[in-house]
Amino acid sequence: METTNRKQKWASFGRSLLSSLVPVIAAFIIGGIIISLLGENPFATYWILISKSLFTVKGFAYTLHKAAPLILTGLAIAVTFKANIFNMGVEGQLLIGGFFAGIAGASLTGTSPAVTKIICMAVGMGCGVLFALIPAVLKAYFRVNEMVVTLMLNYAMIKILEFLATGVFRDNGSGYVTTPTIQAGAMFRRLGGSKLTPFFFISLIVFLMMYFVMNRSVLGYEIRAIGLNPVFAEAASMKVRNKIIEIMVISGALSGLAGAGQMMSDQFKYTLTFSGTPGLGWDGMLVSLLGKHDPVGILIAAIFYSALKTGSDKINFYTNVPKEIIAVIQSLIILFLAVQFFDEKTNLFDSLKKKITGRDETTVKEEL
Amino acid sequence: MDLLQSILYDMVNHSTPIILCVIGGVFAYKANVLNIALEGMMLCGAFIVMLVDFLTGNLALAVSASILSVLLLGLIFSFFGITCKGNVIVVGLGINMLVSAIAGFVLKVMNSSNILINSLKVSDFKINIPVIENIPILGSLLSGHPLITYLSFFGIFLMWLLMYKTKFGIYVRVVGENEDAARSLGLKVSFYRYMAILIGAFCCALAGINLSLERLGLFTNDMTAGRGFIAIAAIYCGHGDPLVSAVYAIIFGLARSLSINLSIFAGPAAGLFDVIPYVLMTIVLTVVSIYRYKNIKIRGFRINE
Repeated sequence: METTNRKQKWASFGRSLLSSLVPVIAAFIIGGIIISLLGENPFATYWILISKSLFTVKGFAYTLHKAAPLILTGLAIAVTFKANIFNMGVEGQLLIGGFFAGIAGASLTGTSPAVTKIICMAVGMGCGVLFALIPAVLKAYFRVNEMVVTLMLNYAMIKILEFLATGVFRDNGSGYVTTPTIQAGAMFRRLGGSKLTPFFFISLIVFLMMYFVMNRSVLGYEIRAIGLNPVFAEAASMKVRNKIIEIMVISGALSGLAGAGQMMSDQFKYTLTFSGTPGLGWDGMLVSLLGKHDPVGILIAAIFYSALKTGSDKINFYTNVPKEIIAVIQSLIILFLAVQFFDEKTNLFDSLKKKITGRDETTVKEEL
Repeated sequence: MDLLQSILYDMVNHSTPIILCVIGGVFAYKANVLNIALEGMMLCGAFIVMLVDFLTGNLALAVSASILSVLLLGLIFSFFGITCKGNVIVVGLGINMLVSAIAGFVLKVMNSSNILINSLKVSDFKINIPVIENIPILGSLLSGHPLITYLSFFGIFLMWLLMYKTKFGIYVRVVGENEDAARSLGLKVSFYRYMAILIGAFCCALAGINLSLERLGLFTNDMTAGRGFIAIAAIYCGHGDPLVSAVYAIIFGLARSLSINLSIFAGPAAGLFDVIPYVLMTIVLTVVSIYRYKNIKIRGFRINE
């Protein structure tokens, strides 16, 4: 009995591992074809990508450093997607959080470094929460589709921050559009000779908290219940309306913290390319999908994806392949991840097998 | 007077791509497949038409290549979303990001930040209607627009006819409203969904061509700037009715035109005017939603409906 249970567990684990690996491999094959069309060797390119970001101490520390905001945005996406709420506004929430954490970090004087850092992170989280509350309230009280609202408000937020960065908060000493650099007290110090900062460990603590919330708490159960069947959840006396707002607040806080961390450990000022392309929020989408919306999966996926990103800079260095190839591979992974090749419900693999074996049986009968 | 005329002209001009996305997207909405790939499909149309024209200099080839590539994108969307039963939101998002990534990649390989064709004169595309162009206000509304603008307004009525007066339209709506009923009638559910997506893809290709080739003669990456998402908001507001949804698209066009024409007077706050269309659409969406659910009294909260 126990062995069959264990067998099933391993089978489902293998299945979920496969369903994450196959899209990645497929995307890399297509990416490899594109690279070879440019006249470069895809294997050599991929080797540079992986070896420089994972197999050297310095590279790996940099990868972990870059993974910190991805862990947070990944969790921010997962917590809403699990409840079947589509918060596409993580990017916008991250930007506003990062922006105002930066403003706070630049204007705070006379506080001790620790206090400054805490205030900056609190400001970032607060701004993220406030911005996430708009779609949350609209969704909970007026049934406005949260996905459309968040997608549009992202654009609005980018424009607003661009306006603020070129006007009110512009650093006039600089030749390009940027806000003033934050004070030294608000910066996370690098540990040793590596690029790793304490922010990575903060994101790990948040990860542990979210692991507990999503897997071991009542709220986690409620999130799953709402995702599976909101009508049942309501009937089981959950206040779905309040839960939606709670979930969005958590998501906004995580996004805002990610933005604040990006500001305080990596960028130190808000420029128009603060979160890069396609943006840390969208990277979080990939991380969450790749990790199957499960905290542990997200942690692994964030480090994996961060390795791709840091490695892509090296590709630019050593080969003629532009690093934009990583964006192509990323979007292909997302596209392939949408289809559950190895899910129990729509198992394409099994149905294919059935089709083949079914046909075999009929041919056997005909022969008889 | 000049201001009013240019507001009206820009309103028609900026409504066009949204209208095209809307009338393309309503079929997918009615067939119960949420197509958020409108944005990426439009960008793909805009990109391919400029790329092929830049490489070959053949306009007809460029336009057909653009439409074909977007239709291919529609097929990919349908295959992943309908045949493989993937999560259509994730598929749509993947397509949006893929198009933007490929465009960025190709631009990088070409070592340029945009595609600009010098031999192309945007004024050549404008069609001036003889008598009407001299009538003050009507002239700027009706005359001097590129071909696809006229097609888009004509398309509103065409799509309305297609949706409400043909068998095809009825079947698409049946598929969306009750899949099991449609299946029991022997309708090929997947076929109608594929067609709904492909109609949307075709319209998005036209929207993209209008955006890059006809209006600017220029392609920059991510030039669609969320127009596809605004179109989805308009479809939601209009509940998938081509006529009503198109009206919301025109409201957006007006907001955009006002923000462009009035920002001249705003001085340093001009940058903030770009925000108006997105915020306005959110407000409109909220008002419509409140109005729609005003008389529905059920206990508690329902996500779907």
